[in-house]
Amino acid sequence: MTATAQIPVTVLTGYLGAGKTTLLNRVLSEDHGKRFAVIVNEFGEIGIDSDLVVGADEEVFEMNNGCICCTVRGDLIRIIGGLLKRKGKFDAILVETTGLADPAPVAQTFFADEDVKKHTRLDSVVTVVDAKHVMQRLEDTTEAEDQIAFADVLLLNKTDAVSADELESVEKKLRSLNPFAKIHRTQRCQIALDQILDRGSFDLNRILEIEPEFLHDHGHDHDHHHHHVEDMDTISLSSDKPLNPAKFDAWINDVLMSKGQTILRAKGILNLADADRRYVFQAVHMMSEAAFTGPWPAKDKRTSRLVFIGRELDSDALKAGFAACQV
Amino acid sequence: MAANAPLVESKGLSWFLDAFVVGAASTPDGRYFMATLGDGTARVLDLTAASEGWKTFEIHKGGSLCFSPDIEAGAFLSGGDDGKLVKVAVGGATDIIADLGRKWVEHVTAHAGSGVRVYASGKNAFILGKKRGEEPRKLTHATSVGGLAINPKGKRLAVSHYDAVSLWWLAAKDGQAQWLPWKGSHLQVAWSPDGDYVVTAMQENALHGWRLSDGQHFRMQGYGAKIRSMAFPKRGHFLATGGADTVICWPFTGGGPMGKAPMEFGGMMNGPAVTAVAAHPKLDAIAAGFENGTVIVGQPGNARVIPIAQPPKDREPSPITVLAWTPEGDRLCAGSEAGDLHVVDFRSLA
Repeated sequence: MTATAQIPVTVLTGYLGAGKTTLLNRVLSEDHGKRFAVIVNEFGEIGIDSDLVVGADEEVFEMNNGCICCTVRGDLIRIIGGLLKRKGKFDAILVETTGLADPAPVAQTFFADEDVKKHTRLDSVVTVVDAKHVMQRLEDTTEAEDQIAFADVLLLNKTDAVSADELESVEKKLRSLNPFAKIHRTQRCQIALDQILDRGSFDLNRILEIEPEFLHDHGHDHDHHHHHVEDMDTISLSSDKPLNPAKFDAWINDVLMSKGQTILRAKGILNLADADRRYVFQAVHMMSEAAFTGPWPAKDKRTSRLVFIGRELDSDALKAGFAACQV
Repeated sequence: MAANAPLVESKGLSWFLDAFVVGAASTPDGRYFMATLGDGTARVLDLTAASEGWKTFEIHKGGSLCFSPDIEAGAFLSGGDDGKLVKVAVGGATDIIADLGRKWVEHVTAHAGSGVRVYASGKNAFILGKKRGEEPRKLTHATSVGGLAINPKGKRLAVSHYDAVSLWWLAAKDGQAQWLPWKGSHLQVAWSPDGDYVVTAMQENALHGWRLSDGQHFRMQGYGAKIRSMAFPKRGHFLATGGADTVICWPFTGGGPMGKAPMEFGGMMNGPAVTAVAAHPKLDAIAAGFENGTVIVGQPGNARVIPIAQPPKDREPSPITVLAWTPEGDRLCAGSEAGDLHVVDFRSLA
């Protein structure tokens, strides 16, 4: 007996005018052999009239599970429940959010609701960024910053509207806000769709493949990088000493319970003492999952790495806590 | 669970229709079962010629999302993701009762005695009477509708949504809803047969209940899974629910379930969860369907259950979504997510 195949879900975010609709229309009209159900925020500019295009209401609900930051999108639970009644009619789901939407409740919906979790899997959060206006947006709003910091894939779009120098500094800024994401420079969202679909960004087994920056040494101190941009922090911790599994578990649970509200995302590849395989960890606010994946490559040094993206993170406390887990 | 062969093998028929069974009911004369499916079809089974199988009628461009018997005997209502509320007669004649365009019709219910149909889409519920061409009365809520239920007398409508249940008087031309507040997302809603209790199944695997006569409210919890289904037997002395590995039955006698432990029957410890329940129209018996496609009939306080259907052997097991009795309670219909349909006949057992 095989498990029911989970339908991949791609979440598309980005500020108004960044190019989300262009990308959406491309996904809907291009011949890629996949049938999409699309949950849109507004029907307005969608060029396709299909009964698989559904309007959403962006209803953010709190879950009564004792976790104050555990918010989900009630409308998504409802709509996905309805779509699942039409099994076999589509292969993937695309969720477009408004320019002002917080991506966290969208992502958490795929981990918190039993039915949604059983039948679908969050594949990636793709954020479209307008190269010309993003710097201004980042100054004006926190939403743009959240959407960038949360992304698995960043489309740095409208690159023809800025100079090479401007583009360089925008990309640097994006990287400082989000060390995980794969960044693509595009014009009119021209990108091979396999670069944004079926990425498996929330698949623990694939965390190892997909973060270019995350896996490479930056050539400077191994302990701790700390960027500060506006109020968004990214904190990277690493250690060549193995970690005590019980200590690490207790510490990370405590961090997520007490600081989960301020942590947008966290990912880690960890070397636990007496384990031959890599221990992979990820979290969205307080929700986390972890599992052993493949063995450490024989030739590689077993370096644990853990990255947090969030607001007002206490880097000294995180650094000290992580150090205390080392054997 | 009893080791006997399931009843459907000796006293019933099974079909596989390969589409999500959204709803099913019998006609008031007990002659037909009607069902709607996620492939946009309605199916009708004539029990006087059951071996001929289900007749198929295309009723939605997309899929059916909700189902209810209509106020007209022998007809039923289906709301679809094509925005249409369709009335379907057992012979297949269709009538579009409402068209909401690109909005989905997500919930529907009707009360034959008071001649009222209610349907909902997003935050709005609409009350529609018998008269053709009549404008429906629109009830707007702060958040999306999770469920609809008309009280047994046909006077009041309960609409569950986020943070509360709104109670409306069906006959009023306008007026405000009475709020039954409780934080969280309320999904299905049900009335007790005496009309004194309103109970909701919540997103957080718990039930919430209110007693209207004195405003008391209470929480029933301990479920391991979502409570997709609940049913009061005719006498109303307990509430049977899904959401656990046995059928959980909360006592509703002598002041309600507050501070009392539920009774249970059927299922296996750590086995598949109950996904559908339906009360026998005359007896205290409850039909229960499980996550793996098993169907049983039993009652609290009685260790003996009648096995009705087992998981399919040649396909992946699929949760039971729908259970429906004939008005005499002599036949039972069960449907699953994958499209299994079973009909069993109890008459020869009596």
